[in-house]
Amino acid sequence: MSEPGASHLVVRGVSKRFGATTVLDRVDLTIRRGELVTLLGPSGCGKTTLLRAIAGLAQPDHGQVELAGRDITMVPPHRRNVGVVFQSYALFPHLTVAGNVAFGLKVRGRPKAEIEAAVERALSLVKLGHLGKRRISALSGGQQQRVALARAIAVEPDVLLFDEALSALDRKLREEMQVELRRLLQDVRATAIFVTHDQDEALTMSDRVAVMNRGRIEQLAEPRELYARPASLFALNFVGLSTRIGGTVIGSQDGKVEVDTPVGRLSAIGSFQTGASVVVAARPEHLRPGETAGANAVSGRVRSVVFQGSRTLVEVDAGAGESLLAELSGRDAAMPRVDEQIRLAWPIAETFAFAAEARA
Amino acid sequence: MSQAVLALPVSQPAIDRERLTAFGFALPSFLILSLVFVLPLALLLGVSVIGPEGPTLANYRRLFGTAYYLGVIWNSLRLGLLTTILTLAVSYPAAFALVRARGGVRSLLLATLFLPLAASVIVKAFAWTILLRSDGVVNQALMALGIIEDPIRMIFTETALIVGSVNIFLPFMILPIYAVVAQLDARLSEAAATLGASPLVAFARVIVPLTLPGVIAGVALVFSLSVSAYVVPTLLIGERYPTLATTIAKAYLLAREPGFGAAAGVVLLAIAIFVVALSTQLGREPASR
Repeated sequence: MSEPGASHLVVRGVSKRFGATTVLDRVDLTIRRGELVTLLGPSGCGKTTLLRAIAGLAQPDHGQVELAGRDITMVPPHRRNVGVVFQSYALFPHLTVAGNVAFGLKVRGRPKAEIEAAVERALSLVKLGHLGKRRISALSGGQQQRVALARAIAVEPDVLLFDEALSALDRKLREEMQVELRRLLQDVRATAIFVTHDQDEALTMSDRVAVMNRGRIEQLAEPRELYARPASLFALNFVGLSTRIGGTVIGSQDGKVEVDTPVGRLSAIGSFQTGASVVVAARPEHLRPGETAGANAVSGRVRSVVFQGSRTLVEVDAGAGESLLAELSGRDAAMPRVDEQIRLAWPIAETFAFAAEARA
Repeated sequence: MSQAVLALPVSQPAIDRERLTAFGFALPSFLILSLVFVLPLALLLGVSVIGPEGPTLANYRRLFGTAYYLGVIWNSLRLGLLTTILTLAVSYPAAFALVRARGGVRSLLLATLFLPLAASVIVKAFAWTILLRSDGVVNQALMALGIIEDPIRMIFTETALIVGSVNIFLPFMILPIYAVVAQLDARLSEAAATLGASPLVAFARVIVPLTLPGVIAGVALVFSLSVSAYVVPTLLIGERYPTLATTIAKAYLLAREPGFGAAAGVVLLAIAIFVVALSTQLGREPASR
């Protein structure tokens, strides 16, 4: 066993093609022991295939997978010691709750007393201790989800893999499960990979998020960094809201660029050649009404004001088909009204420039 | 939570509308079945136990007390069991192949299964006699290829009987198994694999129990059809292999012994009902292990 923090799961140059489609394109990924990592991306980005390659359910065309110091690229799934929680849960309908949880231990030939103790422990972890004798069909979706989790945990796998495991639950239950699941996985010191297209789930559950697009990992970062410093236009778009304005670089120095846009000149962090087509972007919480010295500022007419409880989203039509998105908190004095003329300013340090051709 | 509530027996209202409606829907078929099925069976049972001098078990004593008729019962059972076991052996993998097959191939395979059902069993049995007789297609082909010099005796052997019977009753085994295999969630095998089950273990612990209902339905159908088959043994093996079905026919048509024929019919029915009930019971057993 490797010590905590050491690389535990290593994916090296894994590629997979289905016919003419490249589903995974030389993916590299290293996950530390005890880490919770999310593969985030739209459907078809390869996240599920990567998960299946780690589980041994899909054979990569190229590359290697190492788990707990062992090259498992050619090892069949039943000898990998991974735990998978499927989107449909894939519970065995002919077995009881306890029978499902015991399955992995039974096929490993563990002694009866040990199995019983492990089943009890796993079921109490997911708070289903009282339902062991139930049939699967007598459970709610949320309970089935917990059984699937208990079944995967019971065998103490080297890595737990979740394939859109929460997406079948309704919103409220899903949000509760996200928090609960993260706490539970940290308690049992599990190494886990989640596959999801839900950015909130990714930000809530993971130590690090891998944003995937067209079979590649575009960015692997902690949730806070991913949000604050997206590495690509795709990552910016996929996680959180933003204002995005296209333009042409007219000058560049010290890691900053001057960009000519339809709504005026803007400054942004980034290094581009003069004449390059870029997209200038900023997160909505950095946009403030009024003028600030040494900041980007754009005027426009308020198109909509959407109250969302703790925050209010204000969309501003800046003319020339461009719009700005500002997030104001309840503490901000004087909420703008629809059709009002307004000037929004935001710091240059919170403005990014991305190559426009990467627009997804 | 509602768990405690669910475990309690649900109290029935005085007039259960749903049950009443269900009963109403079942009524026509119930009436028809009583008229054309239950009533004749009651008559059959009556004829078998009433002799010229009042109630008697003589017909049953003759059936179970004579070595010849015990042999007849054994022949029927043997035909039913062999046919069922062999059809099951062929059908189980075939059902999986059907499910794996895609698009046009699957339609074609299903059509080859369904189409023979449109042909009468007499036609199919005759087809086998044409194939298997001494100057039949199979013997001629084998001789033309130089594999044999003289025709092999194939028709009127037990092999011919079983081969023909398996062929004729095959769809009744494949279709119910196919129906459950098609419903199988492919993720279940994957889940079993990731939990440490080798393909063989996953098959034994997940696939077999989940496909059991289809197997049981197929076994019940094929056994009850083959144990009581009349045309198939008559055409493919004949006098050498008397069965309950041929005995019944002889008792009614030749010997004019309706009481004895009725008794043989009751025994045959009892065997079929016993096997169907047994297999249904096996399918209902909760597998919690």
